[in-house]
Amino acid sequence: MTGLLVLSLILVPWLGALVVWRVGDSRPKWQHGLAVGFSVLAGILSVLLIPLASSDAAFSLPMGNLFGDLTFIADGLAVALAAIACVVGSLAVLFAVDYMKGEHQLGRFYSFVLLFIGAMTGLVLSSNLLFLFFFWEITALCSYALISFYNDDPKAVAGGIKALIITQLGGVGLLAGALTVFGTLGTYQIPDLLARSSEITPNLLAVMGFGFLLAAAAKSAQFPFHTWLPDAMEAPTPISALIHAATMVNAGVYLLARFYPVFEHVPGWTFAVMLVGMISALITAVMALTAMDLKRALAYSTVSQLGYMVYAIGAGGIFASQFHLLSHAVFKALLFLAAGSVIHSAGTRDMRKMGGLGKQMPFVRNVFILGALALAGLPIMNGFWSKELILEEGLKHTPLWAYVGMLLGAGLTAFYTLRMSWMVFFGEPREALHAHDAGRAMKISLGILAVGSLTTWLFAGGFSALLEHTLPFHEFHVLTLGALAEEIFLAPATYIALGVVALGLAVSWMVRKQATAPVPAALEALSRQSFGLDWLNQQVVKAVFQSAAVVQKTQTGEMNWNVVGIIGALVVVLGILLWSAS
Amino acid sequence: MNLITLIVIVVACLLGVGLYGLLITRNLIKIVIVLQLLVKAVVLAFVAAGKVSGHPGIGESVAATVIVADTVVAAVALALAVQVRMRLGTLDIPKISSLRG
Repeated sequence: MTGLLVLSLILVPWLGALVVWRVGDSRPKWQHGLAVGFSVLAGILSVLLIPLASSDAAFSLPMGNLFGDLTFIADGLAVALAAIACVVGSLAVLFAVDYMKGEHQLGRFYSFVLLFIGAMTGLVLSSNLLFLFFFWEITALCSYALISFYNDDPKAVAGGIKALIITQLGGVGLLAGALTVFGTLGTYQIPDLLARSSEITPNLLAVMGFGFLLAAAAKSAQFPFHTWLPDAMEAPTPISALIHAATMVNAGVYLLARFYPVFEHVPGWTFAVMLVGMISALITAVMALTAMDLKRALAYSTVSQLGYMVYAIGAGGIFASQFHLLSHAVFKALLFLAAGSVIHSAGTRDMRKMGGLGKQMPFVRNVFILGALALAGLPIMNGFWSKELILEEGLKHTPLWAYVGMLLGAGLTAFYTLRMSWMVFFGEPREALHAHDAGRAMKISLGILAVGSLTTWLFAGGFSALLEHTLPFHEFHVLTLGALAEEIFLAPATYIALGVVALGLAVSWMVRKQATAPVPAALEALSRQSFGLDWLNQQVVKAVFQSAAVVQKTQTGEMNWNVVGIIGALVVVLGILLWSAS
Repeated sequence: MNLITLIVIVVACLLGVGLYGLLITRNLIKIVIVLQLLVKAVVLAFVAAGKVSGHPGIGESVAATVIVADTVVAAVALALAVQVRMRLGTLDIPKISSLRG
């Protein structure tokens, strides 16, 4: 039963991808309807899977010695992320019915979205490292294809390729880690790795741990790989909400959380994780402050919030990080989709041209503000609970300077959130934009997400119990809702954090009418260049092209020279064979 | 000198002639001929390997398959060569690639 459900979670979206593609672009109504149908079905199935979570293999298929068994385990971590992927996925598809109306090549769009949803559930449910890697790469491929969806726009194509290359770099780290596991333990099964990690020599464990950290940082757009996510904003907005805010970028955090017990004792690993998270959270918060493009600002804020989750893992707070992942998936999808309906109706992404849009689109304004409150971490919203939990873990288990850095990040978050909301929805209209409120499908998905960002913290107790009961190798203690509230409201850390958030909001309120970035000019220039990392990226690209130009000379295209190469290789192989035989 | 050694020597000679031919020739028809020489060396090697390994049936059946597939390749390659000669007026490879037709 569980096995069937797990398989259908992967195969239903994939079947949907095939069907929507085969229906053809001449029948867009059918494509919209079928895509919504298949994704909503996957969403319902993923919710049904939650009560069935267990640490036993739900499905296992022997694939021979080379690949190991294709095994799926639906434990607490996996079902939670699968549910996020499928539910947010179905809402994003529903939103796209309005957003993508009248676009060409809808088949390509929906097929890749559905392919992505299936691959994402496969990624989190797979307990075979090699198949986890396969699903990991499929999600990267879908992300690339959807960023470059408008493939006549050179910026979109460049952004897609950049995302693909950087996430592939991470994929190499994951593959290296997986092969090291197979080489030492002779198995790809994750439970075996968790149980027998003490058999691996410390050096190899460190190689694996930092390989996985590389993979996670590239996938979750963490420092120093965060430069791909802002450029990925050329994708249609439902894609930004689904792939680049709610699901795929969480895969890195998932990976770190999944393997935390293995690498916990590798010297320097938790510190490196914490540092990566902190640097990402801080520098991208500054970049969000100086961004003038609504979607880019949201992208920077995504990196920043992912930084909080990574930091929480470095501090040992696996539950805090996964709880924030859940909150963030809901409220950031809400923010992106609301931003999408603004962009859809205003026809621009530049916040300097917006202003006063709230009167024209009151519904979108209201839900955006709910999302913004959650992002800023104000009480009652889901972002408040999870962020406070992270800060509390940070205070307990990380150095004070790191905690202070994260506090500063929380203040900056409140600062840029208010600035963003104000520039878009309030004040005087800066340009006469004719906006209209969201369509019906948009309103349904925005409404559901808005209710979600008000209420998902109520699941905290059940979520922690689920994780505790189904993840035997992690250390959790069940945190009931009451205990959570007590822990948060009695801790002085909460009030310090709220004070910093209030300070951020106050500063932001004072400079709200300023159209330029509210930071010193030097800092602004620095953050526009992504603190020198974009330059580094370009240098790497340039070096690759230059070396390619050198190597190109060896490719003459003349058959006789190619035969020389073949014979040369043959001689070398024969030489090695003879040498090893003697 | 037994039979197997003799066959190996013949295979090596055929391979050598074929590779040398590939190395120096520029004529499409001649390339097809030297490719045939190479494949014949391989067929002979399969038969010999079947005999050495004690399963002559396998070696012979693979050899028969290779002969069939290779005949098709030769026929198609020659047909292409004829088309190239008719359309471009030459069989010289460097000239054809510089025409970029």
